[in-house]
Amino acid sequence: MKLALAGINHRTAPVQVREMLAFRSEDIPAALSCMQARGAREALILSTCNRVEVSASLADDIPADSLLDGIVIGRNGLTLEAVRPHLYLLEQTDAIRHLFRVASSLDSMIVGEPQILGQLKQAYAQARDHGSLGGVLDTVLTRAFNVAKRVRSETEIGQSAVSVSYAAVELAREIFGSLHKKSVLIVGAGKMSEGAARHLFRAGATEILITNRTSDRAEELARIFRGEIVAYDVFRNRLSEVDIVIASSAAPEYVLTADTVRRAIEARKNQPMFLIDIAVPRNIDPEVNNLEHAFLYDIDDLQRLADRNLETRRDVAQQAENIITEEVERLKARLRERDIAPTIVSLQEQLETIRREAIDRYRGRLGSLTREQEEALDAITRGIVGKIAHGPISEIRRQAAEKADGEVRQGELVNAVRRIFRLRDS
Amino acid sequence: MSILWLRTAAALYSCGLLYALIYLFWKSTRLFTPALIAFGVGAVFHLVSIVELRAQTGHLPLNNFYETSSLCAFLIAVLFLLAYSYYRIAIFGICLFPLVFFMTLIGATEFPVASWSSPQVRNVWLIVHITTVLIGYAALILSAVASVYYLLQERQLKRKKVTPSANRLPPLATLDRVITQSMNAGFVFITIGVITGVVWAFIESGTRWILDPKIAFFLFTWAFYLAMIFLRVSAGWRGRRIAWLAVSVLGCSIITWATHVGFRTLWPQ
Repeated sequence: MKLALAGINHRTAPVQVREMLAFRSEDIPAALSCMQARGAREALILSTCNRVEVSASLADDIPADSLLDGIVIGRNGLTLEAVRPHLYLLEQTDAIRHLFRVASSLDSMIVGEPQILGQLKQAYAQARDHGSLGGVLDTVLTRAFNVAKRVRSETEIGQSAVSVSYAAVELAREIFGSLHKKSVLIVGAGKMSEGAARHLFRAGATEILITNRTSDRAEELARIFRGEIVAYDVFRNRLSEVDIVIASSAAPEYVLTADTVRRAIEARKNQPMFLIDIAVPRNIDPEVNNLEHAFLYDIDDLQRLADRNLETRRDVAQQAENIITEEVERLKARLRERDIAPTIVSLQEQLETIRREAIDRYRGRLGSLTREQEEALDAITRGIVGKIAHGPISEIRRQAAEKADGEVRQGELVNAVRRIFRLRDS
Repeated sequence: MSILWLRTAAALYSCGLLYALIYLFWKSTRLFTPALIAFGVGAVFHLVSIVELRAQTGHLPLNNFYETSSLCAFLIAVLFLLAYSYYRIAIFGICLFPLVFFMTLIGATEFPVASWSSPQVRNVWLIVHITTVLIGYAALILSAVASVYYLLQERQLKRKKVTPSANRLPPLATLDRVITQSMNAGFVFITIGVITGVVWAFIESGTRWILDPKIAFFLFTWAFYLAMIFLRVSAGWRGRRIAWLAVSVLGCSIITWATHVGFRTLWPQ
């Protein structure tokens, strides 16, 4: 049996190609059946917005290329020739390593983003429900989830924010700790402020005030976040109630001056305030950052923070790669062991049966023996059998260990040993 | 007789101190009215004591530190009561109740009393004093450490240099809470320590105790502490300023502690 994986991702193909190949979730069972019909013993389909991958364990006589068809089969108007340049095909160790890297989010567009593991688990559950897992591929995937967990706990890969709006949430946490029940004021209801507000909302911020020059957009946001609309000309009066301000209005001048913010902070008894200015030109006077208890970040500050986090993630990714190399080796050893173990066990059993039978047959002719003599007889026969078994067993082990390419298929030596010793197929 | 009235006044004033401590922890103002009444009655006893002393000596009792302290405490109490009846500002009580109580307590120690009733009481008293002060210091150290973290974290946030992950400092709000709570707890224990300490010194060394520099410094530290608590509660001082204050109070406490340890080794048992 061999493992193979074929697919495209955000590096090998532009979005126009990826979207053609993406599987809709409801089409996946049929596609899995199709792959099984074409000779795959196990199959898994992972389809996200950044990657489409099929992996399978195939019988030895089926070429790995056949997997490529699995991706394009049944797609209207799609030919293998058209997408072949974007596809990659990995076998055996390479496939294992790739699955580990995908699960650990090392192959993601944003390295360390946490969604991919969930998506892979979902694909796994889907394939399992469909009955297309249960062998080597299953083992590899289960291991991949553990590897991802290990990478996440032993490195800092997932710990820093890499998007601007998430960086804002992270900063808010640095100031307030939990964002539970914090209040947010959104000045100017643009797309950017919506993103930041969404993150804050998810992190527990409950009271959301929205102010905008035109009210229709504000109403839309108010619906999304169950927020309250504040008239644009009076929103400064409510400033002292809010912990976090997100400003992204199109106003050409500062909508919040240092003096306004200072008064608000005084009114709220010096409780800290976090102001996020994602507007260009800026909405909040930069002087605000010099006020005690006020923390002002503009779009560049947030971007810088996100970039720096991304850089650390890349360093950390190297540590993660080392973990993965280690885990791949460990899994390979386990798979090899799993491959040869039945042969070794049945060889030992076979020889033991022969020994027992021989003793039973000739024991009568020896007459009565002392206990010491019985034990000696046992030891001699065991010694002979052990010596005979030693050669083939150590040879099988040696050869299995030498298979540097990590072949998981039964070797010729194993087959030869089975034939020579007349081992039954288990 | 006047000393008895004065001691009664001090006891009544202690209700005010109790109210202030309760307010620090639970922000409860329910006990304000009883405390205010006790405080007012205390002021009346205080007046009686002063008038009587005036009658005895034939002039205003300003002869020495104790009498001055007592009279000053009385004037503060009267001013507070007047101010309260006009403006209804209760918040000054947090600072003035403890202050008046202590100044009166000091005033009440003018005449030495008989020595300890038994050496056991003396020992227990000393242990209570030292333990409460040490617990107070421990809380103060915690508060100062949190303050240093606060200052660092605040600086990083202001300079927009938040270090990624790993060795992050706790969030500002958490640090602020730790500072407040440990500061309040420290204040309660150190206050109990001051009361026990003053009584101890008074009984142990009679009227000379007030001249002892270590006690003077202890009282100064406590007053500093009281001022800090008051600024926090009334003026809403928090964050950077309170963090600096907490560090300074710890500095004072270290000096106080040093003077005590240095002194105790010389103390004739």
